[in-house]
Amino acid sequence: MERQEIMRRFAEAAGNPLSYARAWKERTGRKVIGSFPMNFPGELAHAAGALPMILQETDDPITAGHGVLFPFYCGFTRSMVDQAMRGEFDVLDAIMFGDHCVQLLGAADGIRMHLTKTRVIFFQLISSMCDPWTQGRSEESFAKLRAELEDFIGEAVADDAMHASIRLFNRNRALIRKLYDMRKKGTAPLGAIEMQHVVKSSMIMDKAEHTDLLQQLVAQFEGAKATPNRAVRLHLSGHFCQAPKPELLEMIEECGVVVVGDDLYHGFRYISTDVPEEGPPVSALARWYMDRNTGVPCPTRVQNNVDWDAYLLDAIRDERADGMIVLMAKFCEPHMYYYPEVKEAFEKAGVPHLLIETEHEGMALESLKTRVETFVEIVKRREAA
Amino acid sequence: MNIAVPPMEDKKANKLKSTRIAGKLVNDYWEMVWRAKEEGKLICWYEGSAINPFLEAADICWVHGEAYSAMLAARHQEETAQRVAEERGYMRELCSYARTHLGCAVSNQRLRGDNSGATPDDDDLTWKLPAPDMIISAYAYCSTGQQWDEMTSRVFGKKVPIFNVSLPWIWASKPDAGYLRGHEWHETSDYVARQLYDMVKFIEEQTGKPYPWDRLRAMMADIKRASELRLEAMDLCTAQPAPASFFDWVVSIAPINNLPVAGVKDYFETVLAEVKQRVASGEGAVPDEKYRLFFDGIMNWNKVGWLANKFARYDAAVVAGRYTHMAFWQEPDLIDPKNPVLGMAQNYLICPNNHAAPILIELIMGLCRKFQVDGMVIHASRTCRAFTNPQFMIAEAAQRQLGIPSSMFEGDVTDESFYKDELLNSRVEAMLEAIESRRMAVA
Repeated sequence: MERQEIMRRFAEAAGNPLSYARAWKERTGRKVIGSFPMNFPGELAHAAGALPMILQETDDPITAGHGVLFPFYCGFTRSMVDQAMRGEFDVLDAIMFGDHCVQLLGAADGIRMHLTKTRVIFFQLISSMCDPWTQGRSEESFAKLRAELEDFIGEAVADDAMHASIRLFNRNRALIRKLYDMRKKGTAPLGAIEMQHVVKSSMIMDKAEHTDLLQQLVAQFEGAKATPNRAVRLHLSGHFCQAPKPELLEMIEECGVVVVGDDLYHGFRYISTDVPEEGPPVSALARWYMDRNTGVPCPTRVQNNVDWDAYLLDAIRDERADGMIVLMAKFCEPHMYYYPEVKEAFEKAGVPHLLIETEHEGMALESLKTRVETFVEIVKRREAA
Repeated sequence: MNIAVPPMEDKKANKLKSTRIAGKLVNDYWEMVWRAKEEGKLICWYEGSAINPFLEAADICWVHGEAYSAMLAARHQEETAQRVAEERGYMRELCSYARTHLGCAVSNQRLRGDNSGATPDDDDLTWKLPAPDMIISAYAYCSTGQQWDEMTSRVFGKKVPIFNVSLPWIWASKPDAGYLRGHEWHETSDYVARQLYDMVKFIEEQTGKPYPWDRLRAMMADIKRASELRLEAMDLCTAQPAPASFFDWVVSIAPINNLPVAGVKDYFETVLAEVKQRVASGEGAVPDEKYRLFFDGIMNWNKVGWLANKFARYDAAVVAGRYTHMAFWQEPDLIDPKNPVLGMAQNYLICPNNHAAPILIELIMGLCRKFQVDGMVIHASRTCRAFTNPQFMIAEAAQRQLGIPSSMFEGDVTDESFYKDELLNSRVEAMLEAIESRRMAVA
């Protein structure tokens, strides 16, 4: 399949996740399980024969959701509640939550109270990552989730099925990481929007179908020579639960920027870490949960022996990036807490960065563009000096 | 014509006289905190759950983050801390408790710590908070608490040992689930209790001494009694007119939540005696009780007296609230002074947010019935999403289950700039009119 056609299919799923789910359900007759970001192990639902999909913020203005949550909540949370209230989640047979962000908890409560016919399953993952009991408690949480899933589908999920799902998901992640590596080297000139489509569609599509397309895409870049690019090389950071709006990414690139790396959830964060393929699957998922916070630290967790700011500076060196743009979703508390640490570390290291606060309701792109252009000029002058 | 609201007479809340003692206890406590370093005491910063008896028993000076921020706001001295926090990059939409406290941490670190050099002003309470020797994080429900503690540790260069206690949310989806019952409740209680025992080991490591369990047991016997006295006094407010208001119970949070245990039982004995005396004499918390309201939401600490007087002028007795009546050693029967850890863990799990909405709403509706309220005033605190999460559902349930109206106003815990007085006035007046109309219709 041609690259353009593969990318079109990825973009289509990324742009209309619930439509993809409806079509999949009609085709297969199997269950669709929606999950909240960022730590739901899709492998479990996949092994149970369901389509696991990570629920996505839409561009639709918030309407019915205003009756459940206040406007001073992040766009992702409000969009989730709004979609639920408007009946958009009818295609979902179950919704799973696992996180502790206080705004997501509000959404969980609101959705359970209003979607009375949908099974809403909650398991709270421990968010303190370096306690002696973190691994054990994580295993307990994943075991509870597995038991709830088995109860929901009415049969046991075999370890062999879980191992097979883990291998498939690992393969999918490895292929996307390969694309990241190729982009960094310049042999896969994928733009920020294209990269987002690759990752976001992986959160939605049937994993085998997605992996097959990915293999074809990667094969087309194998052996390619690096394309020279004189644009300013930047790392994109932040934006956890929701994907940055494509028009924002487009604007950034139009300012003479090439994105060479990111730690966005709809980016490298999602595929950074594999699940161990040996041993009891629940233990492996717990290990994965812990490893990914060491690999790409997340401000939604607390881990005193891991520094997100240091990780970012290392990533920038590795990517040979000239600077970083921080994308912060308005009202995202974990990000607001951690941002001063990042800011100070970058100032101390002399690495330029620009903070952009994003909003669900849309942004004044023209004024943002002026800021990005100015930032790019500063980076260029610094490089020239 | 506004039928419900009389001209704004110069009425004031008839505050409990005994709550003046709370003011003195609070002042004495903070003086003790400010002296602690000079007296060679270890200092522990913590937020959220009332782990202070564990610390006080071990002779560690305890500093509750929210209490410090609330104290600054109540004294209208919070702005410096909030400015310092903002200068470091903490944004205005962050929990203002945390932002204020982190401002103190940043200020403290700059003036006393690695970046010292500036001359501290001894009257500046932002700076005056002594730096921690340890941090314990034990925060129910709200993710902000744990992140706040982690960031505090980072402000101090990660040189301060930190211990995390994880308190899971009670989701309560199983058939056996409910308030203080079901497998989930018991499993979660045991999980938290196990962590508290590990926390005690952490405390032993910091003090270098065996933990004085006998002192903790004695303190928990006192707290249990104080809690019983407090609840008895609160229950007497079912009387009409109500002898004390939500605002009296707000002022009484510090004694039950974070003041030295020694004075707490006496304080609530005094409060209970005054409440009993008021019931006997028919003296109310507002001069002319015409309406009885429930307060949902956390306190607006810059505005305690202001709001108390405002509602008094509306002849509205705010008789109960989620913040005051569903938290702070709320279930003394769970505490076994001989073996207190499990009961302490369970009381930590009963913060007024840590049960999912169906249970919370059931409890709130129960309080509304018990105190025979006519309406509900809802404080949508801008930066405290832990409290605002279920508020639309609570308002809806109040209307549907009890047929009572509610009125929302915007404010905040310690950031006064979010408070909108005119919105409160017009919405409360509209609600009182609705109550009045209903009464006329019934009559």
